Amino acid sequence: MPGADKETDLTERIEAFLADLKRGGSGTGPLRGSGEMARETTYLLRRITAQARWSSAGDLMEIIRNEGRRMTAAQPSETTVGNMVRRVLKIIREEYARSRGSSEETEQQESLHKLLTAGELSEENFRQHFVHLKANVIEAINELLTELDGTTDNIAMQALEHIHSNEVIMTVGRSRTVEAFLKDAARKRKFHVIVAECAPFCQGHEMATGLSKVGIETTVIADAAIFAVMSRVNKVIIGTQTVLANGGLRAVNGTHSVALAARHHSTPLIICAPMFKLSPQVFTTIFYPFPGSFSYCLPVLREILSKVNVHCPVFDYVPPELITLFISNIGGNAPSYIYRLMSELYHPEDHKL
Amino acid sequence: MSSRGGKQKKGNVTSEQEEEEQPLQAVLVADSFNRRFFPISKDQPRALLPLGNVAMIDYTLEFLTSTGVQETFVFCCWMSNKIKDHLLKSKWCRPTSPNVVHIITSDLYRSLGDVLRDVDAKNLVRNDFILVYGDVVSNIDVSQALQEHRHRRKVDKNISVMTMVFKESSPGHKTRCEEDDVIVAMDSKSKRFSMVTDEFEIRHDLLDCHISICSPQVAELFTDNFDYQTRNDFVRGILVNEEILGNQIHLYVTQDGYGARVSNLQMYDSVSLDMVRRWVYPLTPEANFTDQQGQGCTHSRHNVYRGAEVSLGHGSQMEENVLIGRDTSIGANCHISNSVIGNNCTIGDNVVLDRAHMWNNVHVSSNVEIHQSVVCDGAVVKEAVRLNKQCVLAYNVVIGPNLSLPEGTVVSMHHPEEEEEDDDDEFLSDDQEVGHSKDKTRQKAFNPAEVGPEGKGYIWKASMNDTEDEELAQCLWGLVLNPDPESDSESEASEESQDRTFQLEVLGTLQRGLEENIVCDNLVLEINSLKYAYNITLKEVMQILTRVVLEYPFQQQGTQLTTLQYTGSLLPLLKTWSPVFKNYIKRAQDHLDCLSAVEELFLEQDTHQTAMVKVLMKMYQLEILEEEAILKWFSTGATNDKSRQLRKNQGVMRRMSLWRKESEEDESSEEGECGR
Repeated sequence: MPGADKETDLTERIEAFLADLKRGGSGTGPLRGSGEMARETTYLLRRITAQARWSSAGDLMEIIRNEGRRMTAAQPSETTVGNMVRRVLKIIREEYARSRGSSEETEQQESLHKLLTAGELSEENFRQHFVHLKANVIEAINELLTELDGTTDNIAMQALEHIHSNEVIMTVGRSRTVEAFLKDAARKRKFHVIVAECAPFCQGHEMATGLSKVGIETTVIADAAIFAVMSRVNKVIIGTQTVLANGGLRAVNGTHSVALAARHHSTPLIICAPMFKLSPQVFTTIFYPFPGSFSYCLPVLREILSKVNVHCPVFDYVPPELITLFISNIGGNAPSYIYRLMSELYHPEDHKL
Repeated sequence: MSSRGGKQKKGNVTSEQEEEEQPLQAVLVADSFNRRFFPISKDQPRALLPLGNVAMIDYTLEFLTSTGVQETFVFCCWMSNKIKDHLLKSKWCRPTSPNVVHIITSDLYRSLGDVLRDVDAKNLVRNDFILVYGDVVSNIDVSQALQEHRHRRKVDKNISVMTMVFKESSPGHKTRCEEDDVIVAMDSKSKRFSMVTDEFEIRHDLLDCHISICSPQVAELFTDNFDYQTRNDFVRGILVNEEILGNQIHLYVTQDGYGARVSNLQMYDSVSLDMVRRWVYPLTPEANFTDQQGQGCTHSRHNVYRGAEVSLGHGSQMEENVLIGRDTSIGANCHISNSVIGNNCTIGDNVVLDRAHMWNNVHVSSNVEIHQSVVCDGAVVKEAVRLNKQCVLAYNVVIGPNLSLPEGTVVSMHHPEEEEEDDDDEFLSDDQEVGHSKDKTRQKAFNPAEVGPEGKGYIWKASMNDTEDEELAQCLWGLVLNPDPESDSESEASEESQDRTFQLEVLGTLQRGLEENIVCDNLVLEINSLKYAYNITLKEVMQILTRVVLEYPFQQQGTQLTTLQYTGSLLPLLKTWSPVFKNYIKRAQDHLDCLSAVEELFLEQDTHQTAMVKVLMKMYQLEILEEEAILKWFSTGATNDKSRQLRKNQGVMRRMSLWRKESEEDESSEEGECGR
């Protein structure tokens, strides 16, 4: 039975993906950037759309939501996975609305009046069957994939608008997006980059070698020297792991201190973040550090290890008021505009999977 | 595979591809083959004991899966049904699992050696495989080691049979098990595990992770050497025979990663804490890698993990490194640090828990203090009980109220004597038999002084029947508590007992040889293998052999033999076994050693001293001993009064000259009379 075969193949793929997610970052699994993660998630969701059994948009959304829940639970710190699930859900909604003939604009628009009158009909509406829905959804997901493929280039293209000759730029750790951004600017302009090494993982070293290879004047500094060097810096350009709904960041540890130093010296803080990093999560007062692998610290601490507790938070929270500008693949935005982007990208009902 | 060595490039490439297509296999031994966790492991096999609320075998399987193992053979013996049930329910047996788990059970496995012999007999492994125990917790990436191993095998034509994974950690480290503290000599260049090479380093900063990458030959070698029981036997055997067989063992030393075997409760304690402190990332409690419903928990600052539906009373503090399973409720004003609490537990008010390991369904009343102890499933701790360090409450025990258990107390529902009764077939007993033994247990009253007025349970004392690891079996917590004043004597004792067992083995071999009419060459072979198994020197082999042969008549017919009967039965034996002797007695020194062994024996058996002459003569006639050696022994050897007297009594010298003449005559008359 080919149908059953397909299904087991699908579940196998999902399980493999989940296992990969769980082991992500341990060194045993393949280490991937969030861009790649987003792409893989979308591929998998496309496969689910194509191969799973569903008759109406409601079924499909339910299936995707379930799988999405499992995926996000497998690696809570990887928000891109959840984001892509939400994007796909949104696509399904739109395609469904289009098939029904109602324009997506009207559905999109929210008003107090609508909220009060609409009631519970949202899920009911997805029961209708359309022949072309599947093809349309897959087509739309393909568009999303091409968008994902182009994100880094789109961001890098804007580099010349932000980086001028003889500027001193500071960055923290390693971000593929920022690296591409700086390299693109280096084609036309001469400037100086200072890289904070970002101990204990020291991704900054990798970043610096990458930059110096294309002929950018690069200096690596210790994390402790960030504040001292900041007075010389014209701009701080960093990447992030997640952009939160309030316009804040969840970024690599040490980013907060950079942001504070930048604020103290009134240096603009620019964040390069593709749209898929935008997450509807919000963190307010209480924020837990996200501890990751400690094993990297082991060589240093081997001697006293038995009597010592090591805390090694991996992420920092940076509040939105410290950020000057977000550069995403669709242009530059202020942190205060993030909420608007959020409502364009995700349907409010999908914020919680 | 062995033909691969010197082919051209093309051939190499294809063979590499072939190799990659072969799924990586692993052998997981889900049995410890010892009783260190008794009485806990009387009710639950060790591999299923929870560590951080997850069965230990799951950690091992996750470790294997994450290193890319695609096929795992789980061997179980003790309580194999429970392990099987557990595995069938777990995610490893789902059809989508990337790691196919085969469960192989047999009651006949008594050691690692048996398991590997079975692996060989069933032809399970086709390629290099990973060998681990079911209680290894690790996140080490062994793919590097695997690559090195394969490379070595390709280059050296399968000389390297095993790569053992070690982790660097300084002596005195908490996760270093005091019992298998290893000192390793290795060839500094090739990382070869070695005894003697030109250049080697001796390291004491290594922790044995009990993970080894083995080639299929390992299983074969276990089959060939039926006396190998443990991996240590194997390693010793390989090293001793390195020159002859050309097999080598290599090491892989890793600096990061975590690997430890939970071999006793001390280790259990430290591994469990390391786990909560996230050293084994990504195998952290909140990762829920077993993918069980409802097992997930949240992680917050100071490594506090909470499962679903946990309730915490007013004023209770969870200081650091605390893991609380689902549906557990904790009363008011409790103080919890460095502890793991299982599912469905209830804990009263004003409880202090420090380094407590509580499993599922434990009830703890108010005002209880627990320090560094293990409380198993279903145990009840009543009001105002204090468990001092290293106590163990086994399954379903009730303690208290108002009692303080002294340090190191082990309480179990099994009466120690019941243990002795079914001691012999401990390995065979499965659930059915446990039930059976319960029936026959005489209903004994619980001692209120030991377990409190409402208590249920017996103080557990390990039975003394165990011959070998008697001392070890006693202390669940490992040897740490009484560090080492006796370690020297212990090792001596073990050496002596080794000699003794060797002697018994030799006796058995000879006996069998006689009964089944085995050729002397084969006997020599067997004795040689015994020699290696027990690490006995050649000199000792000879002495023991002599002794065994001379005592043989006593063994067979009792000690009440007359001298005449004794010589009568001994002399033919000497004749049959003379090739064996000749094999061992070659140099002049050997002759003297043999003679001294003879002398020693007859000093002990003073009633049969007269037989000595005949024995010596026979040995001389059979050309086991040389004439000069006997003369030399006679003239120099007298070390003390008694032996001098012995010689005098015998008038050996006189006889000697007599034989000499005789033998000369013999020679001239072409061996006219052989039997005299």
